[in-house]
Amino acid sequence: MPSIDLPAPVGWNSEKATGRDNIAGPFRGECMNFRAQVAAIGAALLLGWTAASGALAADRPTAGEILRSWYYLMNELVRHTATYSPPVASRNFGYIGVTVFEAAVGGSDKLVSLAGQLQGLDSVPARQPTLEYDETIIISAALSDAVVYYFGNTGPTGQRSIKAAQTKWRELVIAGVPQDIVARSEAFGQEMAGTIHQWSLGDGGAEIINMGFPLEWELPKGEDKWVPTSLVRQQQLPLLPEWGNKRTFAVPNGATCATPGNPPYSTDPESQFYKEALEVYDTVKNATPEQIAIARFWSDDPMLSMTPPGHWVSIALQVAEHEDLPLDENVDLLARMGIAMADAFVGCWADKYDYNLLRPITYIKRVIDPKWEPILNTPPFPEYPSGHSTVSGAMEAVMTAFFGENYAFEDRTGSPDGRNPRTFASFRAAAEEAGISRLYGGIHFHSAIVDGLEQGRCIAAYTNALKTRK
Amino acid sequence: MHPVRTACLALAALAFAQPVLAQDLVVPRYADETATSGIATSYDGDWFYMVGGGVAAFDCNADGFADLLLPGGESKATLYRNTSTRGGPLTFEAQQSGLELDSVSGAYPADIDSDGITDLVVLRVGENVVMRGLGDCRFERANEAWGFAGGDDWSTAAAVTWEEAAAWPTVAIGNYIDRAEEISPWGSCTPNVLHRPGEAAGTFAAPLPLKPSYCALSMLFTDWNRSGTPSLRVSNDREYYEGGQEQMWTLAAGGEPALLTPADGWKVLRIWGMGIASTDLDGDGYPEYFLTSMADNKLQTLTDPVGGPRPDYKDIAYARGVTAHRPYFGDDLRPSTAWHAQFEDVNNDGLADLFVVKGNVDEMPDFAAHDPDNLLLQGADGKFVEHGEDAGIANNGVARGGALVDLNMDGQLDMVVTNRRSSAQVWRNTSTDLGHWIGLQVKQSAPNVDAIGGWLEVKRGDAVIRRELTIGGGHAGGQLGWVHFGLGSETTTSASVVWPDGSRSEWMDLKADGFYVLERDKDAAAFAPGS
Repeated sequence: MPSIDLPAPVGWNSEKATGRDNIAGPFRGECMNFRAQVAAIGAALLLGWTAASGALAADRPTAGEILRSWYYLMNELVRHTATYSPPVASRNFGYIGVTVFEAAVGGSDKLVSLAGQLQGLDSVPARQPTLEYDETIIISAALSDAVVYYFGNTGPTGQRSIKAAQTKWRELVIAGVPQDIVARSEAFGQEMAGTIHQWSLGDGGAEIINMGFPLEWELPKGEDKWVPTSLVRQQQLPLLPEWGNKRTFAVPNGATCATPGNPPYSTDPESQFYKEALEVYDTVKNATPEQIAIARFWSDDPMLSMTPPGHWVSIALQVAEHEDLPLDENVDLLARMGIAMADAFVGCWADKYDYNLLRPITYIKRVIDPKWEPILNTPPFPEYPSGHSTVSGAMEAVMTAFFGENYAFEDRTGSPDGRNPRTFASFRAAAEEAGISRLYGGIHFHSAIVDGLEQGRCIAAYTNALKTRK
Repeated sequence: MHPVRTACLALAALAFAQPVLAQDLVVPRYADETATSGIATSYDGDWFYMVGGGVAAFDCNADGFADLLLPGGESKATLYRNTSTRGGPLTFEAQQSGLELDSVSGAYPADIDSDGITDLVVLRVGENVVMRGLGDCRFERANEAWGFAGGDDWSTAAAVTWEEAAAWPTVAIGNYIDRAEEISPWGSCTPNVLHRPGEAAGTFAAPLPLKPSYCALSMLFTDWNRSGTPSLRVSNDREYYEGGQEQMWTLAAGGEPALLTPADGWKVLRIWGMGIASTDLDGDGYPEYFLTSMADNKLQTLTDPVGGPRPDYKDIAYARGVTAHRPYFGDDLRPSTAWHAQFEDVNNDGLADLFVVKGNVDEMPDFAAHDPDNLLLQGADGKFVEHGEDAGIANNGVARGGALVDLNMDGQLDMVVTNRRSSAQVWRNTSTDLGHWIGLQVKQSAPNVDAIGGWLEVKRGDAVIRRELTIGGGHAGGQLGWVHFGLGSETTTSASVVWPDGSRSEWMDLKADGFYVLERDKDAAAFAPGS
């Protein structure tokens, strides 16, 4: 049978897909996709993970394994929940990260609560000091509820998946555990998830209407200003224009780490603005196969992928699994990543709607070549700074602080689009490639990428300054 | 390209453009007659029936009136015999027919064995069945007799054609998710299949998988470039595929199906594809395609239709006013979810209008719960304007399948819609001020007695209205029978048939406001309902 040579253009909302065929696997360290993971869990169930009675089943998943399994499922749900644009995904990974972190604090002699360090989070539930808990059950119970809090809007297939996971994974994690410990641990995990969810409701980002596109919004006027670039009627107004006003986690507000601003708009061929546009134009016209592959690898389109936040979560899960991180380190990593990515999108979005800069496709068609087309579909919101760059800069900073400056890794967040896993010498290298991918794809100017990366690093410094360990 | 087609298309290109009409847009009036119609079948079931629900409209007892097969999902499907009288209220009687099957998601009528009695391709969550028409609205299973391997998939789309020189049809079946997948059904799209003619006469060959498959929700054999050989357009649900896209398979006679690729000019499009409607909207001789989705819908036209077009389509939904992206009526402004779609002229002004059936997938809170069906009327400028509310069809059911069909044979198109977990509905077109019209059926000797793959052309003044004769598209259901043309103020018309082999009939002069059977190499025969 013939094969498809998937082409350009690809991109935001209607074109581009990523997938999970190559993501690292969950329970046993194999590299497998989420469906393979589920099959493995089912097989394990049949083989007797739950057969043990009276004592802990030998192959009962660890807390880290069940943690990553729920995260893999949630990353799948990011794609399949219509409200999940990148800012929304980042926000919710922030709250989910704090949920699992706080759920684990009481079971660790190394962790310190984030209560009092994050905006609006004054206190969290505590365990009863003299009673025994089970860490795996706490984590699973917390995430079993959190997945409903943050993915409750997913479609019927996602709902069915959630229910199946709740049922089947619970059977696995409670196998052989005394009933009183099961009940106490589940209650605590659920209480923590509920507390964090209540906290989340006041941040200004809990309710998303019309998939994030305002029903009314006055577009700023001016030749440098963003104009719609899509023929999708819903996208004639830009995505989440007030997201920059949302409550942050660790940084004071969205104005923290503001970018210097885009080069002054000009159509003069000698101007910096024109030169940056010409760079995009020439790069796309002469894109190498490697540049096209990079653009696609990091495309991470909403509704077709786990989005940029989910992509970085996927990287974190792969590295955590490779390192076989203990639970305390695993939740620390996921909490820091969630917090930093959430703050990064608030900061980025604050600047996007301060500058309201037009996209390369608009400028290039107007000034340079009316027939030019980018490789990626242009996202439906202002250009400067680059959101993928900002979040990638933030993730680079968090992961570098966690694993070191020259941590080489392979990112297997691939897809059947023919994009092979990519290897990186460091998290910085990955972040910079994610940033420049937007220029290769024709959807960002150079300044938006450089300034976005720097903004992300600045924002992440606040996350890295949080005290999570004794 | 066939020389007749080439000449025809050259003329069409020169003449493009719908002639501007003098009259104002007339809004048809519809009356909900469900309560008195005798229709009472709901599309039941949960996850397995979140898609499907297609209507088959066809004449099962040779009285000229369209009868209806309504799917019941996990309940039994029901065949409703049309007992309406010409111009009268819409009435039906449930008919014991042999079609009382469970797990039915939709059906398409087709005269598979070319015996003059319409058969059915019945889509199921489970084994698909071909049901041989016996006459008088009775059917019998023919899988074994015709060698049709019905499989055991979640089937959600079908299309039928007769490949070149074939005595037996080719049936394409679109399949959805692997329904055994519980926690992670994403990426589990099962293969679509082609049932081509078998070596033995009157049988199908073993099904040929169409890989890659991307969870098809609508399929249509359509001659998009007027080459004389229909291709298979497939609209796919991006919710479930990995790396998928919309597809067009070419089917050279007897050859291996081949996907159109970027080298051919095909562009990647990834939508929640749910339904296909097609018609030649701009009069250039090539079909436009309306693709239903969620929060957006697409209307595709060839970027450059002149001279052997490449399959390079551009989206003109926004420009033409058919994005239908959210409810036009009521307080619920969340994005819409669109399923069945159909181009027909509901006000008989000579311009194709667009009917879009809407309904939430299943209580998805980010999408409209009250999502009325659309009736988008085309104006003389080629733009469409929503008139569902003033036409009286702005229902709030959770709809899926549908059909626009002249159920009481009064020359005005009526409407049927299926709903999840509640009764299907029927509306009668009660307008009194519509334009003239004509209803045509095309017949030829076996095989392919309904001339599927041919084109019907009707003149309205200086304009030529073209309709491709297809079985497929919509959402999980289709129609076979009278092809309706509005004629505006014209009291006479001429009609011609481009037969599937490319030859063309003479133009036949006909009086408006009547039904005619156009049988190959014969004069047009008037048909009087009830006679």
